Amino acid sequence: MRIKKHPILEFDREKKLRFYINGKELYGYEGETISAALFANGVTTFSRSLKYNHPRGFFCGIGKCSSCLMTVNGIPNTRTCITPLKDGVEVKTQDAYADLPETKHKRHKKKVINTDLLVIGGGPAGLSAALEAAKHGVNVLLVDENPILGGQLIKQTHKFFGSREEKAGTRGVEIAQQLRKEVEKQENIRVFLKSTVFGYYECEQNHCFGMVKRREDYTEEIYELHCKSVIFACGAMENMLAFPGNDLPGVYGAGGVQTLMNVYGVKPGRRVLMVGSGNVGLIVSYQLLQADVDVAYIVEGLPKIGGYHVHAAKVRRCGVPILTSHTIVEAYGNERVEGARIAKVGKNWSIIPGTEMDVKCDTICLAVGLTPSIRLLSQTGAEIRFIREAGGHVALHNKNMETTVPGVYVAGDGSGIEEASTAMLEGKIAGFSAAYKIKNKAFDSKPLKLYHEELERLRDGPFGVKGRKAKEKIAVQWSDKR
Amino acid sequence: MKMKNKADVVIVGGGVNGCSLAYQLAKKGLDVVLLEKKYICSGATGRCGAGIRQQWSTKENTMLAMESVKIFEKLSRELGFDIGLRQGGYLIVVHDKKEMRQAEKNVEMQKTLGLDVSIIDSDEIKEIVPILDVKGMHAIAATFCPTDGHADPFKTTFAYAMAAKKEGATILTHTPVIRVLKEKNAVKGVKTNKGEIKAPVVVNAAGVWSKKVAETAGINLPNQPYRKEIMVTERIKPMFEAMVISFKDGIYFSQQDEGQILGGIPNPHERKGYLTDPTFSFIQHMSKTLLRYAPPLGYLRVIRHWTGFYDVSPDARPIIGEDDKVKGFIHCHGFSGHGFMLSPMVTKLLTEYIADGKTSPFLEWLSLERFKGKTIQKEVSVVG
Repeated sequence: MRIKKHPILEFDREKKLRFYINGKELYGYEGETISAALFANGVTTFSRSLKYNHPRGFFCGIGKCSSCLMTVNGIPNTRTCITPLKDGVEVKTQDAYADLPETKHKRHKKKVINTDLLVIGGGPAGLSAALEAAKHGVNVLLVDENPILGGQLIKQTHKFFGSREEKAGTRGVEIAQQLRKEVEKQENIRVFLKSTVFGYYECEQNHCFGMVKRREDYTEEIYELHCKSVIFACGAMENMLAFPGNDLPGVYGAGGVQTLMNVYGVKPGRRVLMVGSGNVGLIVSYQLLQADVDVAYIVEGLPKIGGYHVHAAKVRRCGVPILTSHTIVEAYGNERVEGARIAKVGKNWSIIPGTEMDVKCDTICLAVGLTPSIRLLSQTGAEIRFIREAGGHVALHNKNMETTVPGVYVAGDGSGIEEASTAMLEGKIAGFSAAYKIKNKAFDSKPLKLYHEELERLRDGPFGVKGRKAKEKIAVQWSDKR
Repeated sequence: MKMKNKADVVIVGGGVNGCSLAYQLAKKGLDVVLLEKKYICSGATGRCGAGIRQQWSTKENTMLAMESVKIFEKLSRELGFDIGLRQGGYLIVVHDKKEMRQAEKNVEMQKTLGLDVSIIDSDEIKEIVPILDVKGMHAIAATFCPTDGHADPFKTTFAYAMAAKKEGATILTHTPVIRVLKEKNAVKGVKTNKGEIKAPVVVNAAGVWSKKVAETAGINLPNQPYRKEIMVTERIKPMFEAMVISFKDGIYFSQQDEGQILGGIPNPHERKGYLTDPTFSFIQHMSKTLLRYAPPLGYLRVIRHWTGFYDVSPDARPIIGEDDKVKGFIHCHGFSGHGFMLSPMVTKLLTEYIADGKTSPFLEWLSLERFKGKTIQKEVSVVG
């Protein structure tokens, strides 16, 4: 089910590609990932689970989970949601386990890269950090797992709020394009896409990381990276919710669905139940409508809507009911979601008997918050704390975004869940601070002050409350340590 | 709540040996307190390959290991909890004539003790582990014991800890021992971060930190800490159940029940000390050697890689039993990478000594005093 007409986006479907799923011929388009192409052809089961033989399918869409693993050209356990489709590719579903590949392993020699600054993650924070550091003459290596730079901006068709300096009034997709162009212009930024930084290793000086780059033929090359400083701009992962049937294909992360629709022009299904009324839930609901997908309900566990009023008003005007104090009880279906039961919740989150309701739908979107991605960062030994308002465990950091490990910085959602606009500013601050240290304070530090002031202004608004609280807590715990 | 301040026995260390000992002593009716500075399994136990091997070069180790396997085989039932025991055998690669002579000697000795073990040729190697490249790993033969295997180190240790609590033992996590308390030449108890506990018997089962614990009692241990690295791959269809090891290359690897390949190898550039960071050179050395042994694994990704410690004694054998100078101070360390597999028998011997005053030739043979002025017969069957 591909989106044919969209009010904002146009999808480039110039080159048709042939591929195979378990030997059966299908067609997709250049620029699509394997997951997206399968989905467009109505294939929703990608593998079967180990213990109970349950169907498994798409979930996060950005390579953060393991739901979409398949065998691609004989290579097992490939994350198909971030793997580009190629002509003639043979894709196989994995039944509990992948088979050992029949093809002989193609070994690529390890390469070593030395750089001033490594930026991990090419979203708003990472791009801003790389640009800021590069402007001050620092050599930057920018790495991202996905095939396109821009992080989650590339799927955000709505216009941003906030300040004009941080591109208010511009759509996320356009911001991503602008930042991409700026990065291309900077000669001292080297970009590695489809690449994963996988580990932090012992190093006598500086910092040492391992990285794999996925090649056109789906084989991988290994790199050993050495850098003076590193900025972790790894973003966040979507939260799961516990309910019976939550592993059925058809239960997807709202962000994953947004990627599928707005980046690849593929519809997730025909009728959606949205769980969660934060901004992600509201915005994705509206974007589903734009893609001509029906939204049955938005359910919200809390007694009030979590996101901005303007977004809620928009979906309500389109006739989508938002049920507060409601939650999903169960998803049902055989090979994929066929419906769900929802109910009203009372005190202590208990279900009020007699309020259960059946919802016919083929897709359930979970928009129940994000957790900062800190798995790689935590390997550096940076001190990690649980900060509720930040969305989970985050690294303690100072005002200049440096963690307890010298030369290790954080920025964006990975340092506490906020917004793209704050992520860009944090990226600038981290990039500036890293460059300032690498270049031995050889330039004027005035811009840093301006960035701090701007960040404070952004957090001063009514919607910056949570972010502000999170960062205050981090600051307090940071100073307690000193 | 006030911390318990008196006990019959204080055990320092919440690894497999400490927990097993706590269970057995409590079952004998003793009042036991186990102190762990972090959490159960946070040291070497929770980081180990958890192999269980009976093929050794010394008679004593073989006997200890064989008795241990007998206990492992009944442990799930005894503790009322599945410890994840799988007896898929150990396949020890023989690379050359010199190794062959040692293998023949070992197998002969092991057979006299009643162990089911044999020397197998390359066809039999391929039958047991079909993905092995006999030429690539430079094998001329192998020894194989089908009752060797592995258990889940977490499940085993938690099973012991839960059973110990049921028998009345107290387990205190996040409670580091600051020092051992002495009066004249006898143990009086320990001082922890939460207060003192009086006890006439203190067991030092603190793994690689045993040296530091012993120091506070004025005892100098000859043990050295060595960082050891280990990795695990993503899941793949189950292909073999044996643990493959080579003393020459130092490599060991096996496939877990859920399909991951788990293994390790010593880093050729390793130095001793309390080092904890993983190294990039390990992952390269391990991958290269592993692919020489099992070429089809080339497309598997490593999903985790971590470090732990070997607490290495001068002859690579454990140090157990009561100290001859400090009364009531019990050694239970120096396992040199074999603490998990030997734990059932070692802790059984110590339990009998502590609770019943029963001695055994093993206790004499594994005492700390063996290093004084005697030539050391070193255990040569060591990997990882």
